Amino acid sequence: MNAIDALDNQIIRFHAVTKHFGETYALRDLTFEVRKNDFLFITGPSGAGKSTLIKLLYMGERMSDGYAIIDGMNLSRIGRRQIPQLRRKIGVIFQDFKLIANRTVFQNVALVMEVAGFKSRSVIRQRVADLLELVGLPHQADAYPPTLSGGEKQRAAVARAMVGKPRIILADEPTASLDPDASERVLQLLRAAHARGATVLITTHDTRLLSRFDARVIYLESGRRVDAPAAAGNVND
Amino acid sequence: MSMIDVCRRALSDFYRHRYLHGVCLFTIALSVFIISAFSLFFINAGELMGAWQQGIRITAYLKPDVTKKQATDLAADIEQYAGVASVSYVSGKEGFAWLKKQLGAGSSLLSDLKENPLPDALEIHPAKNMAAMAGADRLAGKISEKPEVADVEYAREWMQRFYGIYNLFKVTAFVMAGLVFVAILFIVANTIRLILYSRREEIEITRIIGADEAFIKHPLYLEALMLGSFGGIAGLAMLYGAFFSLMPKLSPEGLLPFFQVRFLPVQLVLAVLISSMFVGWLGCYFSIRRFLRV
Repeated sequence: MNAIDALDNQIIRFHAVTKHFGETYALRDLTFEVRKNDFLFITGPSGAGKSTLIKLLYMGERMSDGYAIIDGMNLSRIGRRQIPQLRRKIGVIFQDFKLIANRTVFQNVALVMEVAGFKSRSVIRQRVADLLELVGLPHQADAYPPTLSGGEKQRAAVARAMVGKPRIILADEPTASLDPDASERVLQLLRAAHARGATVLITTHDTRLLSRFDARVIYLESGRRVDAPAAAGNVND
Repeated sequence: MSMIDVCRRALSDFYRHRYLHGVCLFTIALSVFIISAFSLFFINAGELMGAWQQGIRITAYLKPDVTKKQATDLAADIEQYAGVASVSYVSGKEGFAWLKKQLGAGSSLLSDLKENPLPDALEIHPAKNMAAMAGADRLAGKISEKPEVADVEYAREWMQRFYGIYNLFKVTAFVMAGLVFVAILFIVANTIRLILYSRREEIEITRIIGADEAFIKHPLYLEALMLGSFGGIAGLAMLYGAFFSLMPKLSPEGLLPFFQVRFLPVQLVLAVLISSMFVGWLGCYFSIRRFLRV
């Protein structure tokens, strides 16, 4: 593969990215690339900068220095009006689910399609039903998030992240608040999304999770990228 | 996003957050009720004072040798003066008949008079404005300088007091209206802010999944306009109900037998409704800016 093909194949490129909040540095000089349809873990102890990295990727925060390119969009130059365009290319899953409490599971998932501009109610209904079927929640379509278990909430969040057929799925500690069975189910779903062609980037501090996947891992410590062995022993806090 | 989508989302959000919207709607309704009640009071009080103003006049008594022709010429001349609404000629005979009528049973006192003591006169009605009062003295002086005029008489102190009160009343009405408007805007903006605050997580999530500002803002503005219009209608309905339950006690046989109390004119009702929608929109505009900053 020549250099141009390699660049073409990159969907995320971070170069010397720094993020600080006043005097506190969350990320320092971070450089890495992610290829299309990669399945990647970002790991490190609490405070390593994993969640900040996810926020930078979906433009929940702006970087302080360096540059990042996501699917051809340069985040350091992106205008305010282009942020929604970027976010529609990305599905995000959070540790705390971030489901809208007064909308049903169906409405939470369908909202992504409404935001993306789908007009046909029948198309939305069909696609959401398919996704709820995939994540095993067809019977909870009319349920409200507060009535669901943690695992069900996270599966609903996965369905929401997948329904817009995004090119990238970001999962910020998706299994941190789940029991082992629920965690396994969520990971299976993320693998299914990967199998469907999405690039999946998962942050976790759980080293047991890493050992079960043959996936690329980026280690972070105090906002810096570090080599695997030095960090691996410290990731469980 | 089409207008139909915006309306559909606004209506469903309105229902979804019905409790807070209900509180906001009640706040707007109460505000509209208060400001409309003020307007109703000031409009009717203004008309009542206008009715009293009809009684204010300057009387110019003419010299005995002035003919009717001279008197009507003088009336036409005075009518051209600034601050004069109308001038009417009252002959001594008409004046005497009026006096007798006013005295009623006591008119027998006048029967001993051998001749009519009242001279011919001109009744000058000043224009209905404040400038007329300031110029009343000057006007009376100017009229008294006319060779046909023997004497000028008017209720100077009463007029001064009347116009003083009228002036104060008008200024108070404007200041009150301004203060109430600002207070209402503040209350409505804060109530809408409360709604947005309760929905901040929902708004934040909607943004994370890729909603642009229009997707978030348009239904919110529409909801604010709906709140403003429904609140306006409810407030005016409350006032209408209160007005018609109190009406029989006020007029025409009640407390103010000589004056017909009226409800707000249609133009003002429409203006209140549009203002109430505008206040809803403006409250939303001020509140929303904070929530959509990146």
